[in-house]
Amino acid sequence: MADSHRGSHVRRLAAAGSRILLASAGLSLGACGSSDDPILIGLAGPFSQPRAESMQLAAQLAVSEINEQGGVRGRPLQLVIQDDSGMAAAAVQVARVLYANRDVVAVVGHMNSGATLAAARVYNGGSNSLVAISPSASSPDLSSAGPYTFRVCPTDSAHGVQLAQWARAQIGANRVAILYENDAYGRGLRTTFKDSFTQQGGQIVSDDPVSAILPSFEPYLTRTRSRGGADAILFAGARAGAEEMIRTFGVIRYSTIVLGGDGIAGIETADVDAEGVYVSLAYLYDQPGALNQAFTTAYRRTYGGQVPDHRGAGAYDAIRLLARAIESVGANRARIRDYLAAVGDEEEPFDGVTGRIVFDDNGDVVDRTVVVGVVRDKRLESTIR
Amino acid sequence: MNLLATFNTLRARIVLGEFALVAGLVVIAVIGIGALRTVRNTVTRELSSLTAISAQSDRLVTSLFEHVRAAEQYMTDGSMEARNAFTSGGDAAHVYQHRLQALPELSESDRVVVIRVGVLHAEAEVLYSFAHAQQDLGRRGDAQTGARLARERASEMLRLVSLLSTSRSVGAEATATSLEQAATDREMLVWTVLAASVLIAVAIGVATLQSVERPLTRLAAAARRFGDGDLRPIALGGMPTELAKLGEAMDRLGGSLRTLVTEVVEESERMASAAEDLSAISEQLAATAGDVSTAMEQVSSGAQRQVAGLGESRSAAETLHAATEDAGHVSGRVADLGAEIHRLAETYGSDIEAAGNTLVELGNLVQQTAKQVEELDELSEPIYEFIDLIKQISSQTNLLALNAAIEAARAGERGVGFSVVAEEVRQLADTSAQAAERVSGTIKTIRDHVSAMAETMAAGRSQARGVGKVSQGAAEALRQIVTTVREIETESRRVSGQAAENLTAVENISRALKSASEAAQSHASSSEEVAAAAQEQGASTEEMASQAAVLNRAAEHLRSLVKAFRA
Repeated sequence: MADSHRGSHVRRLAAAGSRILLASAGLSLGACGSSDDPILIGLAGPFSQPRAESMQLAAQLAVSEINEQGGVRGRPLQLVIQDDSGMAAAAVQVARVLYANRDVVAVVGHMNSGATLAAARVYNGGSNSLVAISPSASSPDLSSAGPYTFRVCPTDSAHGVQLAQWARAQIGANRVAILYENDAYGRGLRTTFKDSFTQQGGQIVSDDPVSAILPSFEPYLTRTRSRGGADAILFAGARAGAEEMIRTFGVIRYSTIVLGGDGIAGIETADVDAEGVYVSLAYLYDQPGALNQAFTTAYRRTYGGQVPDHRGAGAYDAIRLLARAIESVGANRARIRDYLAAVGDEEEPFDGVTGRIVFDDNGDVVDRTVVVGVVRDKRLESTIR
Repeated sequence: MNLLATFNTLRARIVLGEFALVAGLVVIAVIGIGALRTVRNTVTRELSSLTAISAQSDRLVTSLFEHVRAAEQYMTDGSMEARNAFTSGGDAAHVYQHRLQALPELSESDRVVVIRVGVLHAEAEVLYSFAHAQQDLGRRGDAQTGARLARERASEMLRLVSLLSTSRSVGAEATATSLEQAATDREMLVWTVLAASVLIAVAIGVATLQSVERPLTRLAAAARRFGDGDLRPIALGGMPTELAKLGEAMDRLGGSLRTLVTEVVEESERMASAAEDLSAISEQLAATAGDVSTAMEQVSSGAQRQVAGLGESRSAAETLHAATEDAGHVSGRVADLGAEIHRLAETYGSDIEAAGNTLVELGNLVQQTAKQVEELDELSEPIYEFIDLIKQISSQTNLLALNAAIEAARAGERGVGFSVVAEEVRQLADTSAQAAERVSGTIKTIRDHVSAMAETMAAGRSQARGVGKVSQGAAEALRQIVTTVREIETESRRVSGQAAENLTAVENISRALKSASEAAQSHASSSEEVAAAAQEQGASTEEMASQAAVLNRAAEHLRSLVKAFRA
């Protein structure tokens, strides 16, 4: 119930943002090409879904903050928002629209790995390639997607490694069971966790794939319990599966520490008992840092006390990074790409709310660690204060 | 039109033609190279993609089969080996499936199949794993149910994988077909472009040739017309710029020639009339010079005659001088000769007188002989008279005989005897007459001889008388000669003295004559010079006249030549 209520609220906010954007776009029509024309930046993601809400709001917050301070090179920034529904095919269509609009100098998006990978073929192709910075696409495959593909979040492998270290060091887990969704994300997180955890002397007591076609996870959990249980259980998959697993715990009267990657983020608000669930995240709203404090404060103030998630923080950093690039080299697609590739090298590293950003040759952020949050009182909080 | 004007030069047309050819060849080369490159690239790409896809496909198929085999084995024996093989086979299959799905060489339809294989594999893996868990929990019925669901997906998955292989071969076939089609299309394109290039080049070449030949023919005709003297303007018409320039140049040349010919015609007319005038003047001048020459020749001949006369006078004087000198000597010798003659006349005078006497005696003898002859002549006269008598008798006798014959005839037979007598008588008469005649001739001859002798005697006698007279004349002449000689002697002596005196006077005259002669010669030579000058002038004038005539003829020729032009 709360989720659906929240969803309608998000849609309302998004619709309001769109109206504002449309109005400003309408005002700017007919003055195209002059120095007062807004600089267009694409924003692509599944904005019809709750999971992309923070991404859109944070991006709009960043744009409005920049424009309040005089814009970039005296020109305001303006977002061209495109909904890709989180699907590869739709993402390709959206990418083509943005690519064809020559006034769009860069894109922030897409949100999930499948859509980002599909869209990356469009952005990297042709003779007028377009930079796309994903705030949250964590697939390792994205590293080789092309020179115009960047991301400000860590990859899935970082989550697996970080969770394994955390489980060993913080929880002191020796025996860990794994349920993974049999897709690229789930298998990737499971493999990196498994390798890292066993390297650190831990034992994987079970390692079972799940998917929506299964009637329940009960046999796996019952077998784990019958074989001596586990110190913790990693759910490598999406939030729905984790919720299902937690519900099954209640059914079979078994419980253990639940670990999850960023795929289960949002579980804190689910109507299951997610208290104490540990989630690895690229960003947590309450993580330390003056920049993050300012960001979350502004976000809360602007959006009625809400807090941004890692997608929002990544989008916020991506917008501000693009603004700095355009300020430096102008509203030119190729020059923006060259600037981004040099960030942390010829150009200064970018200190964002998600941390210091330095790009490697693949467009990935170097040395980006994740944070592990814990659900407390239906909030995902940093485990380190 | 501007475009046409741009290509209205031979150069542009040739360049255009060559450009068309070169462009065609370049296009052909580009198409050919492009086709080769396309084919090579396509083959390379297809081969590498086929290789990559085949390798990944093989691994995927192998791992999938291993995965399914291990899953089924675990369903049977539940061994750890089978479980581990299932896990590792699944992981390997995921890796290969992921790689195959990410292969850029993969066609979209194949990628859909691979994705579908991946989904089916994931589902089969989940279902097998779930069945294994049921199995582990001893729930055999659920395990078999789960396994059956897993097998459905696994068989579908394996079917799709085999489909993938079929699709690969179909794809290779399609690629080969498309390559062949592309090659055929390129080949057709190459032939088309080649044919089009050749046609365009030939068309441009023919057009260029025509655009050269036609104007050239016109220009050549115009040039021939110029050569024939027809200098009317050339109709240029449309022609390439170069030839148009040539035509314009020829036209300008014709115009210049026209102007020139007009001027030449006028000039030649003027020159001809000037030459005629000059010729007339020259003739007048020549005539005048002839007059002068004639006059001067007359002067000259007069002077020469004077010179000759003087020369003659001088030579006469010189002769006189010589004669005068000789006269002295001659008169001397005359006197000497006279004396000699005198002496000879004295010597032969007596001889001549003796001869005269002899001759007188001879004359007398001749006179005597002449008298004897004359007497002989007188003696022959009676003979003539006798003979005449005989002749008369014979004639009468003859006449009598004739009468007797007639009478005898009348008497008839009785008269026959008588007629014979008559005939005899008559014959006798004739013979008598003939004898008389002969005697007459003889006597005549004798008389002629006597006459001739008489005449000779008469001549001798006159001669004798002539000789006498001559002798007498000679003697007289001798005497007269002696007398004359004596006179000559005297005169000669006188002449000889006179001659000596004359000699001095003659020499004076000779000197005077000589100076006069020299003066006359000088005069004559001056006259000759004048005459020569006049002659020279006359010659020059004649030369001039002849030159004027030549000039006149040249002018006439020129005029006739120029008349041939039609300006």
